[in-house]
Amino acid sequence: MRTMRTTRALLVLAGLALTGCGLYGIATDPYIDLAQHPFDILRWAIGGLVLHDGLWVPLACLAGVTLARSTPVRTGLILAAAVTAVALPAVLRAGHHNGNPTVLPLPYLRNWLLTLAAIALLTTTWALLHHHRKRR
Amino acid sequence: MDDDTPAPRRKPYDLPLPTPPDVLRRGPLREGTFTSALHEPRTAVVIGRWLGAALLTCFLTGLLSHVLQQPPTWLRDHLPSRPVNGYRVTQGLHVISGIAAIPLLGAKLWTVYPKLFEWPPARSVLHALERLSIAILVAAMLLEVFTGLLNTLQWYPWPFPFRQTHFWLGWLAVGGLLLHVAAKAPLIARHWRRVRPGLAQRRAFLTAVTASVGVVTLTTAGQTVPWLRALDLFAPRRPDLGPQGLPINRTAVQAGTSTVPADWQLTVDGPRPLRLSLAELAQLPQTTAELPISCVEGWSASAHWTGVRVRDLLDLAGAPADARLQITSLEKDGPYRVVEMPATYARDPLTLLALRVNGQVLDPDHGYPARIIAPNRPGVLQTKWVTRIELI
Repeated sequence: MRTMRTTRALLVLAGLALTGCGLYGIATDPYIDLAQHPFDILRWAIGGLVLHDGLWVPLACLAGVTLARSTPVRTGLILAAAVTAVALPAVLRAGHHNGNPTVLPLPYLRNWLLTLAAIALLTTTWALLHHHRKRR
Repeated sequence: MDDDTPAPRRKPYDLPLPTPPDVLRRGPLREGTFTSALHEPRTAVVIGRWLGAALLTCFLTGLLSHVLQQPPTWLRDHLPSRPVNGYRVTQGLHVISGIAAIPLLGAKLWTVYPKLFEWPPARSVLHALERLSIAILVAAMLLEVFTGLLNTLQWYPWPFPFRQTHFWLGWLAVGGLLLHVAAKAPLIARHWRRVRPGLAQRRAFLTAVTASVGVVTLTTAGQTVPWLRALDLFAPRRPDLGPQGLPINRTAVQAGTSTVPADWQLTVDGPRPLRLSLAELAQLPQTTAELPISCVEGWSASAHWTGVRVRDLLDLAGAPADARLQITSLEKDGPYRVVEMPATYARDPLTLLALRVNGQVLDPDHGYPARIIAPNRPGVLQTKWVTRIELI
């Protein structure tokens, strides 16, 4: 009980110290220049929260109770969402390399669609086997 | 979530807050909105452990990268130039764990999402502060993975500077993580170990999350891990694509150095100052070393570089053994036109003023006529188009 209390107290102190460091850094960094741009970071931070918690997770929850009724489908959707989150910026940005063709040199749209197709194929096969086994 | 939390003891310093009237408890605030059995502490603890490990890895490797790029005065003479692949590994790990954190963060936030609508919204002042710290943690984490991922694509749609913001938000994220662990410590301890029988749904969900982490890692890590190159589907770089089989971060056209003055000479300061033409440099003893270019954006590629040891140049110029260097590029501008090199790097026998790569004369994009290449050093400090080396 005492170790737990000590650990928690130390974690709070360290957490407050690091948070303070971060806030102090943002407030004083000459490149961030908070005096001239007081809301730039805040707007993006709150915007991220609102988009994630207000749009993305409700959609994911909705998909969870409507589409993803079986384990194979749920797994496939989770995989597809993860791949899309990582690949979509490259898909959208392909071709924009500011004159440096070694940035984004791959066919990202094709790779993304092929990966989604592979996930769909595996999921469907798994779902069919699953269904078949259940019926027997 | 707190399904088995004992009634909290009233703490004398924690001011209770009134529960709002029940008519306000609408929409998702109502009980039973979220039906999945997986919005529960054990799932949150298992995913949270992995996410916490990814965040800490990102933070430590990020701090290291920051120190190597901009060493504080007291540390700059103690930075080691070995191991050769040190920065390649740590910065590769930074980006790999950052990308792995994307599915983990998504899964973690989905798991605890019903807590956003807990009732009453704040039981006490302390509880309200805890919820504020979680808002900071989540906002910082979301912005960290978003800006980090887009930076690897050299895509900057936001108005603030990337490097400084990404650095300071990392402190906020880790600070928020520690506060979060402190607040949840009893709950985490209770759910640290699996209780049998396990929940079949949970196993399936955790398997799906693990598979997601595996897929996004395997399809991007090839930008730095040579044996995963064939699986590189989504990384913004491939280490073998570029002039002379190597990617570049800043082209000669971008730097304004595509045409080098015909009378180019390398100037080396010192008690016996040197002015050497390219032909004269090529006459000096040449060394070939296999060294990586390791970029802060997480890609890296190894190559065979041939040129003059910086150490030999310094000896010819009669420089003292502990001299730090200031290296100037032909670039017109840019934050890394002039960089400093500590003595540990300058004296390393593998630190070269390279004239050739993989047996060919340097491409303009790789820094023709001469570039610096040193072990265990961030790519932006490997000055291209070198024109002057001074002692400081």
